[in-house]
Amino acid sequence: MGLFDFFKKPDPEVLAAREASERRQADILMSLRANRVPTATLERLQGARAKKLPWIATLTPAELMVARSHGLKPIATISATCWLHYGWSWTLGHGEGWGLALRRLKEEARAAGANAVLDVKMRTIPLGIENSMDFTLVGTAVYVDGLPPSNDPIIATVPALEFVKLLEADVVPTGIAIGAHYEWMADWRGNANMSWMGNTESRALSNLWEKVRQRAHADLRNNAKPQGNGVLAHLNFSQMFEQEGGENRPKQYLARHIVIATTVDARRGTPFQHDIKIVVDVHDGGTPLTGTTRHHQSYATNEKEGGI
Amino acid sequence: MPNDIPVHAKERLKGLRSSAHSTGVFTSDFSVNEFLLVRKAGFEPIGLCVGTCVYHVGIQYGSWNKNQELDVLSKAMYHARELAMSRMRAEAAAMGADGIVGVKLRIKRLAWDEQLLEFIAIGTGVVHGDGHKGFRAHDGGPFTSDLSGQDFWALLHSGYRPVEMVMGSCVYHVAHRGALAGLAMAGRNVEMENFTSAMYEAREIAVERMQFEAAAAKAEGVVGVDIHEGSHGWQTHVIEFFAIGTAVLPLDQEIAPEKIADPIMVLSVND
Repeated sequence: MGLFDFFKKPDPEVLAAREASERRQADILMSLRANRVPTATLERLQGARAKKLPWIATLTPAELMVARSHGLKPIATISATCWLHYGWSWTLGHGEGWGLALRRLKEEARAAGANAVLDVKMRTIPLGIENSMDFTLVGTAVYVDGLPPSNDPIIATVPALEFVKLLEADVVPTGIAIGAHYEWMADWRGNANMSWMGNTESRALSNLWEKVRQRAHADLRNNAKPQGNGVLAHLNFSQMFEQEGGENRPKQYLARHIVIATTVDARRGTPFQHDIKIVVDVHDGGTPLTGTTRHHQSYATNEKEGGI
Repeated sequence: MPNDIPVHAKERLKGLRSSAHSTGVFTSDFSVNEFLLVRKAGFEPIGLCVGTCVYHVGIQYGSWNKNQELDVLSKAMYHARELAMSRMRAEAAAMGADGIVGVKLRIKRLAWDEQLLEFIAIGTGVVHGDGHKGFRAHDGGPFTSDLSGQDFWALLHSGYRPVEMVMGSCVYHVAHRGALAGLAMAGRNVEMENFTSAMYEAREIAVERMQFEAAAAKAEGVVGVDIHEGSHGWQTHVIEFFAIGTAVLPLDQEIAPEKIADPIMVLSVND
């Protein structure tokens, strides 16, 4: 583009592309508001479902092998995003953001005619724009040979191998559950100020933590209940902040806790049928059979410095 | 579709499900492998158990030229961990757990006050699938253990059961040396005996304390012991020795050595 091309009228091709983009964006917006899959995505997914388009999978060839050996076939890579501005609570925004993304992912999976979505990964772009964050989910929609499409496809935040291991044990990974809670504590009496004290527990802060964590976990249970009967919580995140007081304003403490978990639907008491054999991998690397702590740490720095 | 996927799982894949579970929701922080192995071992997870304690650690300075335990700091580290652990155990007892597997004990320094430490104990409460109460600790409460789900399975198959997560702590001040001592060593390889003996004594105290806890829990032994050496922001000559492990007892029916499977050797072609 030359310097003066700005003043020229854009050629029809560019104009058409612009219009198409505007139409697509308007459609995306309207569809999301109406809890529908955007039209372009819907067409792609339906094409893949009808096998008019090639399937797309996030699985590695080894994972594909495991999936295929259990009758699972990929349909399409699907994704969902919700970019959310935290109104009055950063902590509770996480539950809302992931919840909305999850609902949208399920819609895409249904449109693809899937029985399940495997290998669902939770993603966030590290941009702190205006108190907001994106909650993105990416996974592979699959169908099971011989089964009709599901109206309520299961969302598995585990890789293909773990997915089939769980299925064989009669455990179905079903989705994502979030438990979040935060609380402010105004320290009017200065209970948390313990300078000059000896060994003492800070009851005020301990109680605050206990309360926040317990409520986050209770919230996790409630959030998980419609999806299954258990969770495998892989992420526990907690933070505590102190906010200085001022005139007529006490010091305040903010404690927040977020738990993110894979929900499962498990038959209690169903034994895991596979035999467990203990094997030693004679390839060098970590195994509990050679202990879990490092055997030599005295010369660890040598390697970093690039000795010899 | 292959036959190895059970009926219930197949129904769920079709989109059919029983929304109301009579058993309630369990929570746990197990990985998939841990979850499967704990169930294989005959246990079911019932809930995450958490214990927290925010502790203000007192001040104590060691004499400049003396090797000595800083008992104020030792007691603080011990007491705070104990509080976090006992709260976690109380939570497990309240939910009727027979034990807690995969306990993680973490320490965080709170940003605004260097003397405030936060101790968190978190693990998954489990119950025996057939309601066998023989796995509980000697006081009838839940057992505690820092073993992973995999290690838990391996421990039961080696003929032992976990009883209690035991620990010993010793915060120790290592003496500074005088200027004369420094001069006497100039240009020579000499053992710094006071430093060596400080390490010996501190480690010994920590291990003894842990062993004492195991004896009090009426255990036969302690597995998976690790001795951490660390400093939680104290002066340079102050070290904490922290010994931690899981106290164990033999199962009611001891497994004969020939019944315990020998590991099979494999060579993985992974990088």
